Amino acid sequence: MARARDRIAGIISVFGELLITAGVVLGLFVVYSLWWTNVIADRAADKEISQVRDRWAGGPGALDTKDGIGFLHVPAMGNGEVLVKRGTDPKTLNNGVAGYYTDPVAAALPSAKRGNFTLAAHRDGHGAKFHNIHKLKNGDSIVFETKDVWYVYKVYKTLPETSKYNVKVLDPIPKESGRTKAGRYITLTTCTPIYTSDYRYIVWGELERTEKVDRDRTPPAELRL
Amino acid sequence: MYGWIWRHLPGNAWVKALTSLVLALAVVYVLFQYVFPWAEPLLPFNDVTVDGQ
Repeated sequence: MARARDRIAGIISVFGELLITAGVVLGLFVVYSLWWTNVIADRAADKEISQVRDRWAGGPGALDTKDGIGFLHVPAMGNGEVLVKRGTDPKTLNNGVAGYYTDPVAAALPSAKRGNFTLAAHRDGHGAKFHNIHKLKNGDSIVFETKDVWYVYKVYKTLPETSKYNVKVLDPIPKESGRTKAGRYITLTTCTPIYTSDYRYIVWGELERTEKVDRDRTPPAELRL
Repeated sequence: MYGWIWRHLPGNAWVKALTSLVLALAVVYVLFQYVFPWAEPLLPFNDVTVDGQ
């Protein structure tokens, strides 16, 4: 009788320990997602950024698409410069960069006469480059820096929640933003709400003007506040 | 379970404590290096793109 009771007590205590272990592992996963992936991604991004900066040090030149085509500056997000690379697969985005879409709707590069420059980046973890996307309001500037040109976009529409299947937001003419004519647009996409990805958050901007990069890489007025 | 491990670790209490610490760190390392990177894409927390799938 006593032995049977010991046995049941033993099984229950192992079960309890497994539950505690599961709790600790889940806690560690949160630490991993929200902290450790940022550490790794920022380290990788810093390295790539300085490589591109080194290559550009010779002064302005033709559009450079190797290892990143340029830098995104969004003063309202307050996170400095974000390297932009080709593609939006997790392997690219996990290195703390923003990627331009190649699929399901290919992005138009900013240098194209018309089209939509569509970008994605992480909201949390992996550098969280679009974490503060909700701080963007109409009229805020989004500046994209290439080797030889500053592209200054102005936000004209935000869509705080849409389905992840809504690929129409990437169209060359994003009708959902209210535009019906071809133009030079920029689209930022990331996940929402924060810490999950039930929906997508979309911000649209339109090109306002371009500026040639000078020898000192003097930033446009929007970045000199 | 943990009691069983503790009883089967060699040495006195200090050695056992140190071994436990090393084992725990090894588990954390394996989780961060291999298990979490594998599990993360399977969980719906960090998909940032729109796509048709």
